[in-house]
Amino acid sequence: MKAADDPRAAAFVPEASAEVLIRLPPIRVRTGASEVAAFLRETADARTCGVVPVTFPARWLALPALRGVILQLIGGDGLLPVHEGQSFAYEHELRIETDYIIAVEARRTAKPPRLTLKIAVSTGQGESCAHLETVLRIVPLNLEPAS
Amino acid sequence: MIEAGIEPAPPDWPKAGDEIRVQNFGPFGREALARYALVSGDDNPLHLDPEAARAAGFAGPPVHGMLMLSCFESLIVRWRRDLFIARLSGKFLRPVLAGEGMRVSGRVMRRLDVPRPELTVRLIGRAQNNDLAILGEATVLYNIPGSPS
Repeated sequence: MKAADDPRAAAFVPEASAEVLIRLPPIRVRTGASEVAAFLRETADARTCGVVPVTFPARWLALPALRGVILQLIGGDGLLPVHEGQSFAYEHELRIETDYIIAVEARRTAKPPRLTLKIAVSTGQGESCAHLETVLRIVPLNLEPAS
Repeated sequence: MIEAGIEPAPPDWPKAGDEIRVQNFGPFGREALARYALVSGDDNPLHLDPEAARAAGFAGPPVHGMLMLSCFESLIVRWRRDLFIARLSGKFLRPVLAGEGMRVSGRVMRRLDVPRPELTVRLIGRAQNNDLAILGEATVLYNIPGSPS
């Protein structure tokens, strides 16, 4: 059975046609110099310092305030997210050692089993800097031992 | 409002059809994936645990999609240093598995000179077996050296 057809992947959403939409309160984030440098090192980036990589905001998906919601929307044990699509759109480059505010919208659909996260990044003064969208396919695990 | 590229394009500004030379990234060993998980916070067991990967239908742990996408950024940055990446997107079509590398290339699909120098670049990442692993697109603007973007 293909993942998309597996009813377990839709289990979190009560009705097949329904969807769950959550908007989180604004979250403060920071482009810490050491975190940016470590990120650059592990992404084979030709630059070593001074810039925030385009994909760096992905790191904010792991913030505790967001991670719990993501795990809840995925639906628990036996399901894992598989990255299906990703986009970043910048109005301004992010700067190192700067605070930003992110606004997060999470949408879980049952058919197809997807979790879509939309994040808007702005300065503390409300100036829009970037938008990112993450599309995750929810895949049920086959936990039976291979024969 | 995007501030980059308010001056004319430089004489060597690329044109539609120009290719970005193929570059190899990786191989991404399991240690590299563990390090990326640490710096990105993406510790999805799919990428770190062969059993979890197999249970999800993969032959082995797949490389993080975001790590694959970052190869596009590196490709562009190594190609030209006078660009501001205004948009970058990717669709993950086939996995690149732990221990494998990826071949990444690009092609300029569209060039705009006004109101600001801008390129649309098609990006392709192929797995070790030549499968199309990730298909992407970037919009890049001329970033005048020394100017804020």
